[in-house]
Amino acid sequence: MLGIVIDDSRAMRRILRKFLEELGFDVLEAGHGREALEVLDGADAVPELALIDWNMPEMNGLEFVVEVRKRPEWRNITLVMVTTESEHSQIVKALASGAHEYVIKPFTKDGMLDKLALLGLVPVGVLS
Amino acid sequence: MTVDVLPTAVDLDGIAEQVWVAFLDGGNELVIHSGQSDDSSELSASVGIVGTYDGHVVVSCTEAASRDVASALFAMPADEVTEDEVGDALGELANVLGGNVKSMLPAPSTMSLPIVAKTQHQHFPGTTEVCRTMVTWRGNPFNVALLVSRNN
Repeated sequence: MLGIVIDDSRAMRRILRKFLEELGFDVLEAGHGREALEVLDGADAVPELALIDWNMPEMNGLEFVVEVRKRPEWRNITLVMVTTESEHSQIVKALASGAHEYVIKPFTKDGMLDKLALLGLVPVGVLS
Repeated sequence: MTVDVLPTAVDLDGIAEQVWVAFLDGGNELVIHSGQSDDSSELSASVGIVGTYDGHVVVSCTEAASRDVASALFAMPADEVTEDEVGDALGELANVLGGNVKSMLPAPSTMSLPIVAKTQHQHFPGTTEVCRTMVTWRGNPFNVALLVSRNN
């Protein structure tokens, strides 16, 4: 499986990369939405999962979600917002724009695992 | 709009504990000193909040403490983390603390990207301190403060 982590914090990207690698993902990274679009355009395969911060320079996470949803070839990417933005209206806006799930920082490893399991993105055996 | 109920030091204690435990595996090495502060800080990181409430959440600490944060987040020895990694880690800490403070305020509001500075105190003219807490983690003190615009 292939995933992409999009966050302007390198520390957060490292944490999320490690988490996904432990689940068996190969992981791409980008520091903001525009860079993520470039990474996706240049990737050999379409990721199954994108973990997306909201507040980033250049292009924020919501704008990235909107751009991804314009591209039919990326329709199978599961989009998960991972952000400190926790206002109800923002969660609704993200989901209405095409995000599948919403994780609020700080998250626990188990909490993130549960969210991905519900999305069918955790390999059999990891949760047992 | 006027905000009637601002977060308190107890709220800040809870947010700080949650963030340290989740991000920095701080459960066994964490002590919260509600309402206190330490004056040895050398670095500070802040995020601004604008909306129904205008203010700043600021975290400050010594350079050694910030290296410990970067070391934990990047899983590297403290003496091997770069200045950029220290800034990135402290900025993300401010971002997560600020996001959780913002969640206690009336919507809508927006939060800035973090600013990290080599200074004990970032100055925000026209603001006053609402509450603060001090976290001791691995023996290092971290100040966390909420400042609010006097116009609120």
